Amino acid sequence: MKIYMQPIESMVWFNREGIPHPLRYRILTEDDAYKTIKINHVLFREEEKVAGNRMLLFRCQGEINGVLKVFELKYELSTCRWYLYKI
Amino acid sequence: MKKRFIFHIDVNSAYLSWEASHRLQRGDSLDLRTVPSAIGGDPETRHGIILAKSIPAKKFKIQTGETLYSARNKCPDLLIVSPNYNLYRQCSMALKEVIQEYSPLIQQYSVDEFFLDFTGMEKLLGDPMQTSYLIKDKIKEKLGFTVNIGISSNKLLAKMASELQKPDKVHTLFPEEIPSKMWPLPVEELFGVGRATLRKFRDRGIRTIGDLASENPDDLKRYLKSYGLLLWNYAHGRDNSPVRYNNSIPVKGIGNSTTIPFDVEDESAAHLVLLSLAETVGMRLREDDYCTSLISISLKTKDFFYYSHQKKLHLPTDCTSVIHQIACQLLAELWQGEPIRHLGLRVSELSSNNLFQPSLFEKDIEKQKRIDQAVDTIRLKYGAQSVFRSAFLGSGLKPLSGGVIETEEYPMMSSIL
Ligand SMILES: [Mg+2]
Repeated sequence: MKIYMQPIESMVWFNREGIPHPLRYRILTEDDAYKTIKINHVLFREEEKVAGNRMLLFRCQGEINGVLKVFELKYELSTCRWYLYKI
Repeated sequence: MKKRFIFHIDVNSAYLSWEASHRLQRGDSLDLRTVPSAIGGDPETRHGIILAKSIPAKKFKIQTGETLYSARNKCPDLLIVSPNYNLYRQCSMALKEVIQEYSPLIQQYSVDEFFLDFTGMEKLLGDPMQTSYLIKDKIKEKLGFTVNIGISSNKLLAKMASELQKPDKVHTLFPEEIPSKMWPLPVEELFGVGRATLRKFRDRGIRTIGDLASENPDDLKRYLKSYGLLLWNYAHGRDNSPVRYNNSIPVKGIGNSTTIPFDVEDESAAHLVLLSLAETVGMRLREDDYCTSLISISLKTKDFFYYSHQKKLHLPTDCTSVIHQIACQLLAELWQGEPIRHLGLRVSELSSNNLFQPSLFEKDIEKQKRIDQAVDTIRLKYGAQSVFRSAFLGSGLKPLSGGVIETEEYPMMSSIL
């Protein structure tokens, strides 16, 4: 997988315990068009606190351009921002 | 007496490791620790010195404290990054959070060093050695930077142990290991030996810690006073200082500055800017339970002339209004009326707040303290902008400059355990 760490727009469902479940995200492509990717399945979720900054990492599975792919999203708790971390 | 177990936990090349792990988390592909790199001080406030360096930079003989200019001469490709004190604070706090799970008695010795008293904890957590590896690996895995841990029966030896081979290592240095592990080391590596003492030792042919240990203590006392005796005891690994619980990072100075969106030409606007700086600096002082006894301001004019001025206080303070008042006095003495572009405020000579001695001449100090306390509490709960002084209304100036502290100096070396 390659590291991108690009900010994304996202749709997320938070459960009563406050755990976020990403449903879909969209990203601005090079030709300035939005591309939406649906998350079929979250394989696992991990919390990290690298350099004291809390982030949640989600290893996800979804369809990109007709191919089933594995990718990772990150959620930064201090800023409430979502990132496409790796594909 | 029960056998003591003291850990000294020390971040490897702290500022640099913290910057490196921060960048990796942000998706950077380069790990600063793997190339010649350094954290370099702001040329204005610190005359551009190296504050921390990577292990590859050490191979070029780059030293902490040397000028950026001389470092670049030794290694033209040296990657220099400006310090980020907010990041260091964040890392230091995250580190503390991990460490305090292993003992109720920890001492934050510096921004990147902790003592942990593990005495008695073995009943709860198991073997000290195994636990230390657990702590070290947990920090690396969770926080993304490495530490050295030194273990012994007192603070001095634990600290000496963590200084042995780096990075990412656990070392023991129990009294029986002193002759093999500590005595062969050069004497300047002994805790408390500074440059002046080193010169005196060299004159007397003392080269290693072992040489110092075999000196006659009475001789040492004659030419180094009681400090000589203390160092002689250190060379024998003797120290009985307790792990002192403390709740804040030892700080030397706190500063903040701001570039003003317009040229300031009248005094009242300049006073407002200083007030906005005093607010953030004062808040940080109180957060860490410090009082200051040295206040300095700096200003840059439209034509980029730079001036600074400072005042020593007889009575340490942590009060926003007092800091502001003195800053305004300093401005009056310094400023010729040229248009101001940039203003800075710095407090140093910090002392612990609870040593505070009330003065007969200080008026309403209790009242001021209560106001500061109330405002701090409201801001903590409802946000920094939730309450501010009405003087800022319609002034076009921010009531709190930035809300973040831009420089914070941590003591580099101390001789008190
Ligand atoms: Mg260190």
